[in-house]
Amino acid sequence: MAGSNSGAAASGQGNVLLWRGLLLITLLGGWEAYGRLVSEAWFSRPMLIFARILTWAGDGLGGHVAITLAEMLAGLAIGIPLGTVFGLVLGRLPVAAGILRPIIFGLYSIPLVTLAPLFIFWFGLGLTPKIVLVAIVTFFLLFFTTFAGVQTIDREMIDSFRLLGASRREMLRKLIGPACLAWILSGIKVALPYSLIAAVVGEMLLARAGLGYLLMQASQQIDMTGMFAALFVLMAAGVAIGETVNFIERRALRWRNL
Amino acid sequence: MSAQPRDPGAAAAVAVAVMSAAASRTGASESARSVFLHPVGRAAAQIAIVLAMLVLWQFGSGTLFPRVWVSSPSAIFARLVQWFSSGSIWGHMAATVSAAAIGYVLGAAAGVATGLLLGLSRKAEQILSPFVIALYSLPKVALAPFFVIFLGIGIESKIALVAVTVYFLLLYNTLDGLRDLDRGWADAYRLMGANDREIVRNVMLPGIMPWIFSGLRIGVRYAFTAAVLGELLAGNQGIGYLIESSAGQFNSSGIFAGVFILVVCSVVATEVISRAEKFVLHWRN
Amino acid sequence: MAHQLIELKDISKSFQREQTIIAALSPVNLAVRREEFVAFVGPSGCGKSTILNMVAGLLPPTTGQLSYDGAPVRDLNRRVGYMTQKDTLLPWRNVADNIGAPLELACHKTGKTGRMDKIRQMVELVGLKGFEKHFPGELSGGMRRRVALARMLIYDPETLLMDEPFGALDAQLKLVMHDEIQRIVSLGHKTVLFVTHDLSEAIALADRVVVFSSRPGQIKIVRDIDLPRPRDVFRIRFSPRFTELHEELWDELKDEVKKGTDT
Repeated sequence: MAGSNSGAAASGQGNVLLWRGLLLITLLGGWEAYGRLVSEAWFSRPMLIFARILTWAGDGLGGHVAITLAEMLAGLAIGIPLGTVFGLVLGRLPVAAGILRPIIFGLYSIPLVTLAPLFIFWFGLGLTPKIVLVAIVTFFLLFFTTFAGVQTIDREMIDSFRLLGASRREMLRKLIGPACLAWILSGIKVALPYSLIAAVVGEMLLARAGLGYLLMQASQQIDMTGMFAALFVLMAAGVAIGETVNFIERRALRWRNL
Repeated sequence: MSAQPRDPGAAAAVAVAVMSAAASRTGASESARSVFLHPVGRAAAQIAIVLAMLVLWQFGSGTLFPRVWVSSPSAIFARLVQWFSSGSIWGHMAATVSAAAIGYVLGAAAGVATGLLLGLSRKAEQILSPFVIALYSLPKVALAPFFVIFLGIGIESKIALVAVTVYFLLLYNTLDGLRDLDRGWADAYRLMGANDREIVRNVMLPGIMPWIFSGLRIGVRYAFTAAVLGELLAGNQGIGYLIESSAGQFNSSGIFAGVFILVVCSVVATEVISRAEKFVLHWRN
Repeated sequence: MAHQLIELKDISKSFQREQTIIAALSPVNLAVRREEFVAFVGPSGCGKSTILNMVAGLLPPTTGQLSYDGAPVRDLNRRVGYMTQKDTLLPWRNVADNIGAPLELACHKTGKTGRMDKIRQMVELVGLKGFEKHFPGELSGGMRRRVALARMLIYDPETLLMDEPFGALDAQLKLVMHDEIQRIVSLGHKTVLFVTHDLSEAIALADRVVVFSSRPGQIKIVRDIDLPRPRDVFRIRFSPRFTELHEELWDELKDEVKKGTDT
């Protein structure tokens, strides 16, 4: 019975893959047919888009990807450590936390990406405004999650560690660090997709390179093939980031099980 | 709710809840240790800090930082007064608020409906999940130029951008809610003799309400952000247009004033949804 | 001879957790007569709840045949009322609405006044008068158990499956509930499968007590409880026959409990 059950599950899995394939082929085929038979003015068609991505790949797409990636990584490299340190420090200072709480919450309620024009105004059209935007967005995310992580550590646990004779350093290494790590990782998980959004918003507003720039350039020429090509590249970037997040999550889970 | 929230809004909400719990706890146990743990002392310190920041901004502007970059509180206030006294702001606010509101309602309704359809059919969810993940992973703002080409630079393209953004948020919250529902509830109802419709009505819909409301609460922020981003990228009215045109004139007061109005709208709307949530989910406290 | 109401033939259950297969229940044989009260006692994790889940049709057995009223249990068994170990009260319904929930369903449809009457009766029966408007989140564990009990009794199912229904109750209230359940079962001609950790409770209520051994669970001994009915649950504990049965069954049980704590 168990055998037949797992057999059914396996064939169910095969069915799902089959349906997915069929759906994908139908969608792309329908799109292609519409483009060929009716009009490719508005929606282009998959073959043209694929050809465009290939052309780009031989002609500077890597450079645009690298620019966007560089903005994200630089911003994350600033935002993540700063946010984590601020969260850890403020989390251990209940007096300051109580006072600053509503102020920080107020600052957080500013939709940060709408500040992009300000950063462009301040820092021009290079990479800097995008890096600043990514850094600020990720700073707040990491700050919030780390701060919350420190707060969730049970006071009694801290006290019992103290009673065992743990030094400040030992407390940080054995208790507070591990307890916060899960929260810091969950902050990073959220920050990664947001860093792509922030970088792309900055590039769409004003830039000379990057994936957002690629999309806007195509849209200014009403080049639908180019727009869809840029959209698919962005989608691939988003999926890649999602997979990175899943990888981090699996690692974090394994760590937590140890 | 899960301790590891998927999206930043939820992360912030958890953090704020923890913060306020922590504040009240320390306030109770250590009130003797510091005057700043007393509510009055704390409020005084908060006001002092905000005032100090404003004063630093006001007097640092033009001395520490170039005025054209950072503006100043008084200049921002003057700008707000001018916008409101001339009445020019109302049209812009109406444009942004209505784009956000209409897109929010459409996106949320469609998101919950899709979530229910997918959640109730495991097969459909399995088949469609890679497609949904691919669309979800795409930064939604990248769709803005498409909407502008298809729907024009008017409010329709902003509504579409807001709707798409809110749609995925509610879709995922609904799916998470259905996945996290206590299986025992449905089993218990089934044993009592309930049919599928009765289970959906009595167990599933009310059971996922907390998730839907948390999506709706976070969605307010998403909606305003998406509406303003749409206006920043292309448009001739709305708060985003005000911000963008101020930036084009090197007028930082206008940028700050626009963002300030946006924050007020978003906070007020979030409060409305929170009240509704407390009312509908009154059983939770 | 007519068939028994519930029949378990070589029923076993194992779960697969990652790569290892965990045997929860070794082959078990048991037949329960109509209107019989059978209590299951044994250490934690001996598969008592698993049997209730299988009788309710929530869980298929890995091997063996399980039949209810002569027919194999394939799908959910709607002729049983099941009070699970973890209560399944809906947190957004207050006490009265939780108790009345079954009567809102098409299959037990009852008019509003009839429903209100029955809810009132049940609320009184389980001693929750004054708490009708409270939500489950506002109740103690014992009160929640009583709400779950009332919700099961209100629609009058033929067989009652109860998984530690009175575990969280204080000693006095427990006795009162024993008295009530005994009355309901005999008046309503119910068949009962009753899981408990409390041997005295099992002996006081049941016609037969089944002692389980620990992991993988199997039946160690089945004992007929020949105490005459109706029983006075408040006094029966002091009868010499009760003490004898208790000693006998405790000897069987204590080795298992020890084994359970050793691992």
